[in-house]
Amino acid sequence: MSSNGRHASVNPRPTHGDTGRPEVTIGLGEAYATREPTVIKTLVGSCVAVCYWDSEARVGGMNHFLVPGSAEDDAIRFGVHAMDLLMCEMMRAGAERSRIRARIFGGAHALNLEAGDDSVAGRNVRFVRTFMQREAIDVLTEDLGGARPRLVRFQTDVGLATARPNTSGRMMALLLATERSEVVKAREYGTVTLF
Amino acid sequence: MASVSANILAVDDSPSLRSLVREALELDGHHVTEACDGRDALARLESSSERLDLVITDLYMPIMDGLTLVKAIRDSARHRFTPVVLLTTESGEEMKQRGREAGATGWLVKPFRIDDLRHVVTQVVSAAVRRGTSERG
Repeated sequence: MSSNGRHASVNPRPTHGDTGRPEVTIGLGEAYATREPTVIKTLVGSCVAVCYWDSEARVGGMNHFLVPGSAEDDAIRFGVHAMDLLMCEMMRAGAERSRIRARIFGGAHALNLEAGDDSVAGRNVRFVRTFMQREAIDVLTEDLGGARPRLVRFQTDVGLATARPNTSGRMMALLLATERSEVVKAREYGTVTLF
Repeated sequence: MASVSANILAVDDSPSLRSLVREALELDGHHVTEACDGRDALARLESSSERLDLVITDLYMPIMDGLTLVKAIRDSARHRFTPVVLLTTESGEEMKQRGREAGATGWLVKPFRIDDLRHVVTQVVSAAVRRGTSERG
């Protein structure tokens, strides 16, 4: 599936890393879930990455999103859509909503653009915490805030997620380009069809 | 935006999504009730004493999904003419076709603009009223 909207599932081109599992890298606005043993990776700064895992179906998935700063309503709406896309991908892969647990990462003031609760990072953290509470989804790991970007790796078959701080020049440049691209992507929406 | 105030059932397993839909449609004076999956929606449809003008439903839900719900509504003597709009992350033509074949009235791909949702609801409800095909309880 691919969406023409801002939040899209990805068509992965897996590579095999040191774990022997296929690896899939997702970017901003994307989500991916699978029941095949896979490592899903992403780099987050002020963005948030949420990993969902259904231990019984052994389905795991991850998204990567940033809520816009234009208005609180927009922030909630875009964040909700990003989370909804991941949940849909999980259910398509065979997960059951009631069994899904979460691990959440990101929300760092990594680019030193702004700080505090009203910053992009602050909004992302506030959104994801509120969302998990409202949706009654258990959070197994929360690694949010701070000043350094995180390279998140999630092993979908065992539900293991790690977030390694990363401030290399190459990673920071990639992060800057990714998070600036949000300005363009935030204006894209889905289509309407009446039968 | 709306010229007709309607009774709408919003069906989604996510409370956050249901709230988005409800708050958007209440701006136009619609009365929105919520259901958390297809089976809950059917129970509410059957137990309601009020006329229902529109169902807006997610596709992927536990217990009963959106397409199954659409088919069940079309098989219902009481609600078979009630319009049903799918609200989904699915944008592929094959899934849209399945929705149409199941009897859906419309297909709105997430993320949606609030104004698009309001406009679709206005169009669908107004058309149903004009045709006189809304369920009259």
